[in-house]
Amino acid sequence: MTLSRRALVAGSALMLVGRPARAASARRIVSIGGAVTEILYRLGQDAEIVGVDSTSLYPAEALRTKADVGYIRALGAEGVLSLNPSLLLAAEGAGPPDALRLIEQAGVTVVRVPGEPSPAGIVERVRVIAQILDIPERGAALIREIEQGFAQLAEAKARITRPSRALFVLSLQNGRPLVGGQGTTADAMLALAGASNAAASLSGWKPLSDEGLIAAAPDAIVMMEHGPDGAAKDPFTLPAFAATPAAETRRLVVMDSLYLLGFGPRTPAAARDLMAALHPDQAGKAKQP
Amino acid sequence: MSAILEAWNIAYRAGGRMLIEGIDLSVERGTVTIIVGPNGAGKSTLLRVLCGELAPATGEVLLNGAPLHRIPAWRLAHTRAVMPQASELGFPFSAFEVAHLGVEGIGRGLSRGDRQRIAASALDQADVAHLARRNYQTLSGGERQRVHFARVLAQLEAGRTVETRQVLFLDEPIASLDLRHQLALLNKAKCLAREGLTIIAVLHDLQLAADIADSLVLVQAGRLVARGNAGTVLSPGRLLDVFGVSLIPPSLPPSPWTLASSN
Amino acid sequence: MTDRAIGTQHLAMARDRKPLMMAVLTLLVILASGLALGSGATGVPPSRVLTILAGQSSAPAGDALIVLQVRLPRLLLGLLVGAALACSGALMQGLFRNPLADPGLVGVSAGAALAAAITIVAGDALLAPWIGPLPFSALPIGAFIGGLITTWGLYLVATRQGRTSIAVMLLAGVAFGAMSGAIIGFLAYLSDDRQLRDLSFWSLGSLSGATWTKVAAATPLILPVLLLTPFLARGLNALALGEAEAFHLGVPVQRVKAVAIMLVAVAVGASVACAGMIGFVGIVVPHVLRLTAGPDHRMLLPGSALLGAALLVSADTVARTVAAPAELPIGILTAAFGAPFFLWLLLRRQGGIAL
Repeated sequence: MTLSRRALVAGSALMLVGRPARAASARRIVSIGGAVTEILYRLGQDAEIVGVDSTSLYPAEALRTKADVGYIRALGAEGVLSLNPSLLLAAEGAGPPDALRLIEQAGVTVVRVPGEPSPAGIVERVRVIAQILDIPERGAALIREIEQGFAQLAEAKARITRPSRALFVLSLQNGRPLVGGQGTTADAMLALAGASNAAASLSGWKPLSDEGLIAAAPDAIVMMEHGPDGAAKDPFTLPAFAATPAAETRRLVVMDSLYLLGFGPRTPAAARDLMAALHPDQAGKAKQP
Repeated sequence: MSAILEAWNIAYRAGGRMLIEGIDLSVERGTVTIIVGPNGAGKSTLLRVLCGELAPATGEVLLNGAPLHRIPAWRLAHTRAVMPQASELGFPFSAFEVAHLGVEGIGRGLSRGDRQRIAASALDQADVAHLARRNYQTLSGGERQRVHFARVLAQLEAGRTVETRQVLFLDEPIASLDLRHQLALLNKAKCLAREGLTIIAVLHDLQLAADIADSLVLVQAGRLVARGNAGTVLSPGRLLDVFGVSLIPPSLPPSPWTLASSN
Repeated sequence: MTDRAIGTQHLAMARDRKPLMMAVLTLLVILASGLALGSGATGVPPSRVLTILAGQSSAPAGDALIVLQVRLPRLLLGLLVGAALACSGALMQGLFRNPLADPGLVGVSAGAALAAAITIVAGDALLAPWIGPLPFSALPIGAFIGGLITTWGLYLVATRQGRTSIAVMLLAGVAFGAMSGAIIGFLAYLSDDRQLRDLSFWSLGSLSGATWTKVAAATPLILPVLLLTPFLARGLNALALGEAEAFHLGVPVQRVKAVAIMLVAVAVGASVACAGMIGFVGIVVPHVLRLTAGPDHRMLLPGSALLGAALLVSADTVARTVAAPAELPIGILTAAFGAPFFLWLLLRRQGGIAL
């Protein structure tokens, strides 16, 4: 116990002294969160990244070439510190909070990046990251590009006269669909894509009963490419799905989860793709930015 | 004169039924008292009330003149030991460890070595020293019963450093024993009684009971129906009344077997 | 060999086994602790770890910080939580006279989980005005209090006329577990995405959030429990014969039950609050000791504390180094360490075994 007391004293003394600040040129960034990593790559800062979390699936080279510090919510303080970082960019939900606090105490600048799933939220994320990296021009350029993408999206959306009624199915465990209601990222994406959410009466991710599914009467089903029971199964083989209008046209849209729900720089394009898939006869093909 | 245990008007109720009722009893020091009676008569319940395990609904039990419920558990453990009918053990204790449980926390001024000697000697007296290291859970029913007998002997031996006026309660102590060990255990009990220990036991075997008891207590339907020596308690008329069996007197001599080593 | 000789030989065995066993277990704890302090994602040389610990910190600030602020509190929390879980497991098994009893049986884990779920889901709206301004997180405090209240409630349900029925407490615990599971399920239904993830992450259990604050909070709760449990050893030994027999041997049965339940609630409540749900330690550690050193609680209780501490710290060392810089959930490793060893012991002891 004398040992630990001494350690406590030594530790607190150390905290007061702090770490010498590093030169900006030798910046070592640990990026936590798929959208954050994506933005860093788009801003051309990938050389400065030393570590990413396991949700940083895009671009694929991130997890291939950078150290993996584990799941976004289960970070280890020493694991992150072993990379000797100077900056940690943490998306919303990164944790546990005590690990982040320890990393901060070790003299690493920890910046929490806001996570609101909306066009304004994406712009805010880019702005915060560009500001902390001190590259305002690149940030402004990326923001312009993103805003342009959303503007084009809005134009395309205005051309839609009959919005598709879509149901977003996150998983299909045991034939029970878990669907995205109001307030979910899925709801936000459907809105961006000019579709109406067939599960708008629910709030949050909720399991939907067979009768609820038939009553929701979706024109289309959106599912994830990845995930435990993602698109591995054809939902229309299930009786409840077979009874929906979507089954008649066999309209099933399958997309990559980070692309569709990540709310990063690719979101305008993802929304255009979703729009085109949901309204094949109405929306023109998206112009690639 | 020197009643060590007295009970007056005790009753015990469970599940809305009177299991025993209106029992008065006085036990002299250094005697062997055997409780007999048909199944369900309340023999074991009476024993459990007398040893303090169950609190009577009415009446009171006095041990060495003090009300039983006023004697703290640790003090009681120095004054009396109880050997149960059958005991399952949750964990694989060795027979020695089980006997040693009898001396843990009992007695004054005993070293650890003393306690272990007491436990070992008790195993010896109960003729289970050769089982000392065996896992209790792997022993036969009879062997287990003898290990428990060793445990209560050890408890009394250790308790004697604090209280010499002691009582040993035995609940069907010979139920799973072979004849040799039945006789050996009862014989040991009788010897201890000669040395001043008071024995109160429940027995099924009327012949063995008649042979060993200084005093028989006959209970029927929760009530004490007779008390005294074997000749008076086990009269043919009463046997017919209580047990529903008709016996010709010569078939129950006052002392059916003479225990070779009892004198 | 005469009977007497066997008896005497047995005496010698009983006398000698305990100090040797304790020495071996203490050595294990020291080894596990040394390994934990000396290894991690950052390569700090063992010699430098020693100078840092000795307080002669000529080492760079970074290494000292890793050792003193990351590894040391994590080691101490691991020792405390491991000891608390294993010792509580041994206490519960003694109390329930069942080698399969686990510390969760008195409802403390279910209560803590329910309270944690309520804190996470309802906390933002209901508790924030009360607890929000405080400089610590509401979750561990909520979990600790929830565990204690649940155990207390189950104890009241199981106690009639001053006698606690262990069987009733067990059944009430099962009923409460089902009820709390249902409520947690309902809360999960109500919760949003973030709350749901918080909930599932919390239930996983990890030492990764170990700080000096947590060590300072857990020590005054867990250490007294560890120091008090040996006093229950005699009572638990006698309880193995049954409650009536324990009473006949002079054991204050009701007090032993009440104290054991209280100690377990405090120790497990504090562990769950600091490190979430970590399974397996509470069941496997007392078992391993019983199979190797016998069921005597005077050995079993302190021995479980030592072995539990060593097991959890070792598991955590592997958890944070094997996939470095990422971490594995510690529950996977306690099971991966404990289960095969446990099976091996069972197989070795085939025949004549009665658990």
